[in-house]
Formats: sequence, structure tokens, C-alpha cells
Amino acid sequence: MLRILLINDTPKKVGRLKAALSEAGFEVIDESGLIIDLPERVQAVRPDVILIDTESPGRDVMEQVVLVTRDLPRPIVMFTDEHDPGVMRQAIKSGVSAYIVEGIHAQRLQPILDVAMARFESDQDLRAQLHARDQQLAERKRIETAKGLLMKMKHCNEEEAYTLMRRQAMSRQQKLIQVAEQIIAMNELLG
Amino acid sequence: MNDTLNPPLAWVNGSDAPELSSIDAGFMALTDSASLVVAATQGFAQPYGLNINLHRQPSWASLRDKLVNGELHAAHSLYGLVYAAQLGIGAQAKDMAVLMGLNQNGQSINLSAALKSAGVITPEALDRRTHQSGPKLTFAQTLPTGNHALWLYYWLASQGVHPLQDVDSVVVPPPQMVEHLEAGRIDGFCVGEPWGARAVSQKLGFTLATSQAIWPNHPEKVLGCSLEFVQQYPNTARALVMAVLEASRFIEQTQENRRSTAQMLSGRDYVNTPVEDIEARLLGEYSDGLGNHWQDHHAVSFHRQGEVNMPYLSDGMWFMTQFRRWGLLREDPDYLGIARQVQQLDLYRQAAEALNICVPSSPLRSSQLIDGKVWDGNDPAGYAHSFKLHALAGATPVTGQ
Repeated sequence: MLRILLINDTPKKVGRLKAALSEAGFEVIDESGLIIDLPERVQAVRPDVILIDTESPGRDVMEQVVLVTRDLPRPIVMFTDEHDPGVMRQAIKSGVSAYIVEGIHAQRLQPILDVAMARFESDQDLRAQLHARDQQLAERKRIETAKGLLMKMKHCNEEEAYTLMRRQAMSRQQKLIQVAEQIIAMNELLG
Repeated sequence: MNDTLNPPLAWVNGSDAPELSSIDAGFMALTDSASLVVAATQGFAQPYGLNINLHRQPSWASLRDKLVNGELHAAHSLYGLVYAAQLGIGAQAKDMAVLMGLNQNGQSINLSAALKSAGVITPEALDRRTHQSGPKLTFAQTLPTGNHALWLYYWLASQGVHPLQDVDSVVVPPPQMVEHLEAGRIDGFCVGEPWGARAVSQKLGFTLATSQAIWPNHPEKVLGCSLEFVQQYPNTARALVMAVLEASRFIEQTQENRRSTAQMLSGRDYVNTPVEDIEARLLGEYSDGLGNHWQDHHAVSFHRQGEVNMPYLSDGMWFMTQFRRWGLLREDPDYLGIARQVQQLDLYRQAAEALNICVPSSPLRSSQLIDGKVWDGNDPAGYAHSFKLHALAGATPVTGQ
């Protein structure tokens, strides 16, 4: 059964989503208001999906969403009465997987959640790939830096510098990046 | 040679950058995993925007399964493993690909200290011992369809011992060979280094024959993957080949680089065995445990100006001829057609040429093996049927086409 963390920031509507969700057979953990620390709640409750029911998502809501997306990524579905496309864009940018204006019907919940989760998975893949690429680029830059330092220190050419670093790495059973970091650190110490 | 279709969207971004930024690559704890290990750890793939994540595998069967189900994108593989998967022998058939050769030579057949004490230290003594009455000797190899089974069978047969009738065979993963020998569960084994050298240094056994004595510069490990991987990610596959080619060249550039390679491999995450056991035979310095020492002119090699890395069609076909010879294939396959599909000659040529590595003009090469037979890839069916000792499944010998 899907575990849903439900956030209501609209006291007058408390219960409209919860009833629909329970009816559709979901396990609902209910939290009223957005004064709570959302990342902390996510950490404690470990929901499969976060539903936010809000009349109009303000800056504080978006901030919470950004924090969750960064630290404890989960699919987030937002139900709202806000039609403004600008607000919708902002919400998607913050990390909301599905933005649903009005109309909560129990029978529509399952497909909405399915779309939100699929969307979330593909976002996560993309994020992981981007992260890997960033890291790769950063490593390459560090290796380049170390190679430059070594060329200066040893008065050697590029290929010789690489060979020296690789031999050093291999005889210590390390990766090239580790030796590059050591050269940079040593240079900082002596420089 | 190979008319695989371009992937549907390759032209959209018009780039030859790898489609994947990182791949998962499998390897076994063996000296001949060197070029893949060095490529992955020493920054050879990064300039292409590729990361190679290494995953050591406990056995060839497990490596094969992961390669076939896609858990691994590519792997340090046995020629025999790739072709058995292609033909569906011992596993579900899956279209496979050989991207390049990783090494030649560097395997060995070793016997136990007990056989040494009993005076079984020559091929003739082994021949006599296997034809005596009494319990059969048990030899271990690393996969029923793997290179080591085929080297063992070929060598035994060349000495007049029928490998399927005169001895028993069992499968043991390479890193466990020495342990099994010590426990007396096997009388000998055929495996890649450093496990033969390890048995010798531990005085648990001796080396009776090297694989290069069976076939000087024989094909051995390859960079294997599924055909689907090459078709889906051609740029990734090419970048991977380029990185491994550069690493192979680097390893053989100087003696110093070979030594560092041995150091690296001895690490816990790789072969996990003392460097002395790896280094000597990597440098061609052999001791057989019977008091003989020699510099081997056909020791393990990773590059030799690219000659080692060329995915020759004749190399791929040879393994199919041996499957046929020993009854693992009940009929002659389309040797050339299958080799053309599996060996990624076009991709290899692109990668090698980009690195100014010489590509032999012919996809076939000619070699003479220990039994005097010449293999040049021209008549695979005839060759498969030409052996005195065999286990051909009910076929009459076929002459050349």
C-alpha cells in the first residue's frame, strides 16, 4: 500500500483529500499546515508520495518543496485552486511532479499518482546523470590541475606528467584522482 | 563487415560523445584484467566523458549472467563465454559482441604436488597415469564452455589423453583453484595467471604446460558485451574501446609501467594476491616448480602495437570449431556469419585508427598449434572435423568446402 504524507495548508478544506484518499485505499499520514519542517517530516514518515493541498502555493511552500527535492527526493503532487501559469511553472521548477488544479475525485487519484511517480523516476534518472557528469568534469579539472603542477615541478611534458601520476597511483593501488588530490594538497602546503 | 543499423536517434545531436556518462564493467580476479582495470582507475576514459565502474565477479557464470541480463554493460570475458552465450550453450541464447581483444597468452595447466611426488611430471607420465586402471584424475577448468576447458582439452588431446573419457572435469572459479588443489579436491587445473604462479609459489603444485605452448599468441580474454549495447550506445562502446586500447598501450610502454600494473592488480579490490605472484609471469619470468626457470617469449601481452587487440574473425571462429569438436555444438554453425556478427571489426577499426594504432589488413590470421595443425580460419567445418580425438555428435567427417 502506498504511504502518503498529506499536507493541508487550508484549514477550511481539511479532510477533503483525506477522505478521498482513504476511500481509494491509501495509507494517509495527515499533517495540517505548512509551519512544519517538511524535510524532517519526510525523514520521519518515509512516505512514498507527498501530497500538498493548498489554496495557493506561496513562497514558503515552494521553499519546503525545494528542500525536500534536494535532500530527500520524493514524488510530490500539488492540489490547488491556483490557475496562474506562472505559479504552476514555479511549482514544477521547485520539484513538484504533478500540479493539479481543482477537482479531487477519488477515482482520478490513482492515475494522477501513477503519472507523478513515473515523472519523478525519470527526473531522478536525469538528475543522477547530470550529477555524474558534473562530478566527472570536476575530477577531470583536478587531474588537469595536478598535471600542470607536476609539469612545472618536474620540468616535464604533459605525457610524462601523466605517466608519473599513473605510476604513482598504480604502485599505491590508488586511482589517478587520488594522486592528483595529493599533488594539489602538497602544492598548497609548500606553496 | 558488420551491417548493424545506426541507432534511430544518433543523428539528432550529431555528436560522437558517449550516450552514457558511466558504465558498469565486470571483471574476474586475473592478471589479464589489467587493461580494463588500468583504463577504469587511471583516468583513460574520462577525456571521452565516460566513467568505467568496475565490478569484480565471483565466477565466470555469474559474470556471463549479468552480461546477458544487462546488469553489466561490458566485461573482461572469455572468448568461449561470449560465443557460448551467442549460441545458447549452457545459457539462454543472446546476441553478443566482442569489442576487442584484451590479451593473448598467460594461462597455464598445473598439477598437484602429490602428482609431482608420484613422478607425474611430464606429458608422457601423465599419459601413462591416465590410462592406468584406478580412479580417474580430476581436472578443474573455469567454465564448461570457457577458454580454459578448451585449452585443457586441446592440450590433453595433443598428448593422447581423451579429455572427456580419460579424466574427469569440474568447474572451479579462478581465485579458488589453489585452495581446491590444497584441499586435494582436484589433481590439476587450467586457469589464467596469477593462479598457476600462486600454486607454484605455495609449493602446492607445478606448471606442466603454458597456454602459449599450446598456441603461441593465442586469443584469450576479450572485451565482451551484448550486441544490443553496441547498437544502442555505439559512441559509448567506441569510447570504451579507445580507453582500453590506450591503457593497453600504456601498460606495455615500459618495464616500469608493467611493474606498476602488477602492483595495482595485487590490490584488495582487484586480484587480491601478493604482487610477487603476479609480477614475475606478467614480465615473462617463469618458474615451473620443477626447478626450471625461463624467460617466456610468449608471455601475457596486452597490446603489441595493436596486434593483440584486433578482434580477428579467425579467433572467434576457432572457439566455435572446438565447441563442435567436443560435442557442445551438435551441428556445424555458420562459422563465418556468426563471427562477422559478433566481432565488432568496424567499431574496432574506428577506435584504433583514431589512436594511430595499426589495424591488420586481413580479419584472418594463421597459426600453428602444438599438435602441428594450422588454423587460418579458411575451412572451419573441415578443421572442426579433422581431429583424431574428439566427441563429435554423430557426424561423418566433412572435407573442406
